[in-house]
Amino acid sequence: MNLVLLYLLLLKAVSTSFSGLASLPVVRNDFVVKRHLLTDRQLNTAIVAGQTGPGPNGLYLVSVGYFAAGLPGAAAGLVALITPSFVIIPLMSWIGRYARIPRIRSAIHAVILASAGLLMAASIPLARDAATGPLAAAILVISFLVLASTRVETWWVMLGAAVAGLAAKLFA
Amino acid sequence: MPPTTLRKLTGVFLRIGNTTFGGGLPTIAALQRELVEQKRWLSMEDYALAFSLARITPGTNVIAFCAAAGARIMGLRGALAATLAETAPSAVLAVLMTQGYETWRGNAWVMAGVAGTIAAVAGMMWASVWYIVRPYVGGIRSALRGALIALSAFFAFWKLGLGPVTVIGLAAVVGLVWKEPAGKGPLPLEIEL
Repeated sequence: MNLVLLYLLLLKAVSTSFSGLASLPVVRNDFVVKRHLLTDRQLNTAIVAGQTGPGPNGLYLVSVGYFAAGLPGAAAGLVALITPSFVIIPLMSWIGRYARIPRIRSAIHAVILASAGLLMAASIPLARDAATGPLAAAILVISFLVLASTRVETWWVMLGAAVAGLAAKLFA
Repeated sequence: MPPTTLRKLTGVFLRIGNTTFGGGLPTIAALQRELVEQKRWLSMEDYALAFSLARITPGTNVIAFCAAAGARIMGLRGALAATLAETAPSAVLAVLMTQGYETWRGNAWVMAGVAGTIAAVAGMMWASVWYIVRPYVGGIRSALRGALIALSAFFAFWKLGLGPVTVIGLAAVVGLVWKEPAGKGPLPLEIEL
């Protein structure tokens, strides 16, 4: 795959989101639905790879880039991930005061809320792919409840889910 | 005159950015302790401004925070060093883990473990939705407005087939026209200086 195009697609996803996983709807739309560069299973694997290690949320884009174009693709994913962050440098100089304007703040909040709706919609096919049986469905619901209601680190939830998967195979 | 050298600055972001689990907030908290309280390279005012603006900067909040903190300490090269130090080693690890999953795809035991984690990822995405929405579940009017915007975005994308960027653009227009309720509603973007 053309690296510049890959970078631009990932950059579009990052630039239209305001948190690590909020870029997922755009990524899935471009890479899974429109261009068939990844399957839902690969996208899920990319998220697992990006979330199980240390470092910032959003690293799954590096894995998406890797799936699409190997190591150069992973590098494109990393550059796309960090590029929009530099917007904050001019923001630091002059937008602080504009962010206080109620109407501007209202628009920013609306965008953030819409990103939640988009993330929910994008999660449905991925959840369908992940919930392959009663155990997987139970892991999905329990993970949600634990992560939404406690401060347990994501890494522990992933580890617990992996152990549950292994235990189910052992006793099957 | 910068308060430190590029090497020392990179070292701090390398150490904290790649050893702190749990996402952005724990990392930013650890950086605050190190950069503001211990080393005093960054003032509390600059830290608060960087923290607040990172939340309205596109992309991952913690990376934007690193760019802002690095820029405040050492200019553009500080921003570049901080963001790369924060992300590059973890990115290498993410690639290794991706390769690992692909290599062991034929192993039934490994895949049983991976299937469990993939189910957990879907739960994690739902938790992310809750984290985004939660600050707005304060007052009734704020919660209703938030629910309507989020659900409209959901249906516009899921049922009407609008693209995510279009939905985001429409949400911005809706937010400009339909002002959020003033008052005590928990607003996550306050600039707290």
